[in-house]
Amino acid sequence: MTFDHPLRLIAAVVLAALLAFGFARLMRRKTQQDLAYSNIPFFVEAVKPRNWIPRALFSTLVASLLVLAIAVAGPKMTVPVPSHDGAIFICIDTSGSMQSTDVQPTRSQASKAAARAFINEAPSGIKIGIISFSSNAAVVQPLSADREQVLASVENVPGPNGATAIGDALNLAAQDLPARGHRAVILVTDGVNNTGADPEQAAQYLGAHHIPVYTIGIGTPNGDVIPGTNEQASIDEDALRSYAEASGGSYSRVADATQLREALQRLGRITTIEYKHVDATVGFALGGACALVLVLFAGIGIGRYP
Amino acid sequence: MTLRDALLRGKKRPRSFGSGSPTTYRGDGYEFVELRAYVPGDDVRRIDWAATARASALQTRVVLEDVALTLAAIVDDSPSMRVGRRRALLDAANEAVEAWFNAASGDDRCIRVGPRYLFPPRGARGRVSARAASLSPGIPFDAIDALRTARAALQRGSALLAIGDWYELNDTHDALLSEMGMRFDCTALVARDPWYGGLPLRGMVRLRGAEGGNVRAYIGRRERTRYREAVREREARVLARFERTNWRVGILHEDDGSASLAEAFGLHAAEVAVR
Repeated sequence: MTFDHPLRLIAAVVLAALLAFGFARLMRRKTQQDLAYSNIPFFVEAVKPRNWIPRALFSTLVASLLVLAIAVAGPKMTVPVPSHDGAIFICIDTSGSMQSTDVQPTRSQASKAAARAFINEAPSGIKIGIISFSSNAAVVQPLSADREQVLASVENVPGPNGATAIGDALNLAAQDLPARGHRAVILVTDGVNNTGADPEQAAQYLGAHHIPVYTIGIGTPNGDVIPGTNEQASIDEDALRSYAEASGGSYSRVADATQLREALQRLGRITTIEYKHVDATVGFALGGACALVLVLFAGIGIGRYP
Repeated sequence: MTLRDALLRGKKRPRSFGSGSPTTYRGDGYEFVELRAYVPGDDVRRIDWAATARASALQTRVVLEDVALTLAAIVDDSPSMRVGRRRALLDAANEAVEAWFNAASGDDRCIRVGPRYLFPPRGARGRVSARAASLSPGIPFDAIDALRTARAALQRGSALLAIGDWYELNDTHDALLSEMGMRFDCTALVARDPWYGGLPLRGMVRLRGAEGGNVRAYIGRRERTRYREAVREREARVLARFERTNWRVGILHEDDGSASLAEAFGLHAAEVAVR
């Protein structure tokens, strides 16, 4: 939290403390007249007074004064807010290794299903695009807020075939994402970059433009033989982690379809939240004033004030 | 019937006074009160044969044996008795003691008992005036000490009136009370809590303890209910403790001490009014 007028904060806190102190003294003096009683221990034992009530009232009074003091200082806060105009590209690996069946039914089919779940849960207004990549990268679905259209386009993701051009996919996403606003790239892959542009550079470029890349490595720990070949499908986890870190995103490894869907759903929550620096003066002022009014009414109600 | 009559007729009088044994003090003799059916254990010398012949059943003459009484009083004059709604409980207690001592006549003796003191000194004659009844020698009052002093100093058969709020009584004092209940004609007046009907305040209250200390407390509906129940429960417990140990009991009402005394003896207020 930052303040537009820090000096005002100090003055207001001192004033609030003086007010609270004076108020406490006033109440203490006022209640001294009340009642002479014969046997205090008996009274306390019999009544078991709920002394937390006045303490809670006084604490709330102090807190509300402090909140008002903060409001005077013009507070600014960075708060997470749901984004309604963001843009996200999902880059789905369609290389030959995605035919592997270690993730049921296949890595490719599981990726598509997870992408659908992500699209279904994304807030309205968020634009989603789909890029498929193998030996080349291609936009399957340009950025669109039309959910039906984006969902339908998932079926247009081509079948597994070819090499893995991660760098090309990231560059394509960077090229098609808008210049401003809340943006993110989700990269679902099971392999090692073996063709096209350098993905590390692409990730750094995206990071420099405040576009985080969330990488998901798909495949069981032992991997699987790519059907129709003798090649072992493997993941370069270090590289995927490096892309994520270079761009301010994160990496996660999934071994089955459920994990993949959960990972994308989690990313759905992360990537559709943006952090905004907002002026919280009105919020603090309203909160403090409401609390103060409530405390005063409660105090009058229980006979504490005036 | 006067308070003195009630004391003379009281069931609590020790047997040595009611069974024809020589009395310690000179009195006005025997006064006939009533005839009633014979009850096994009655002194055969009290059977009225003429009445028995008329009724065809044994009849016993009930007589009032008039002897000199020793009227002793213990009044808790500690600060806890100096509180009240309209006036201090101690004022009502002093009224009751005044009425108690006013019951004395002839050779009766009046003794004010406190912790480690008697007033007037044992053996002195005469009545204690209202002023003397409310005298406090300045010794901090301890009701249990006063009871012990009474037990040690009073003669068997004395009538003792003890007035206080009795906060200090507990199970450990039952033996003392029992012994006193056996030896003396004991009456206890338990000061009714001024707020027996309910605490007069709600919300934040600062209570100043009569005997020092204070507490700031929140009094809500729940606290008021708890208080009412606790006060009633305590009063009932104290009364039961005295009754269990053979004491006559009554409530000391703040408004009228002598009426409270009369109530304890089942008399009308006018019968114990201060003359």
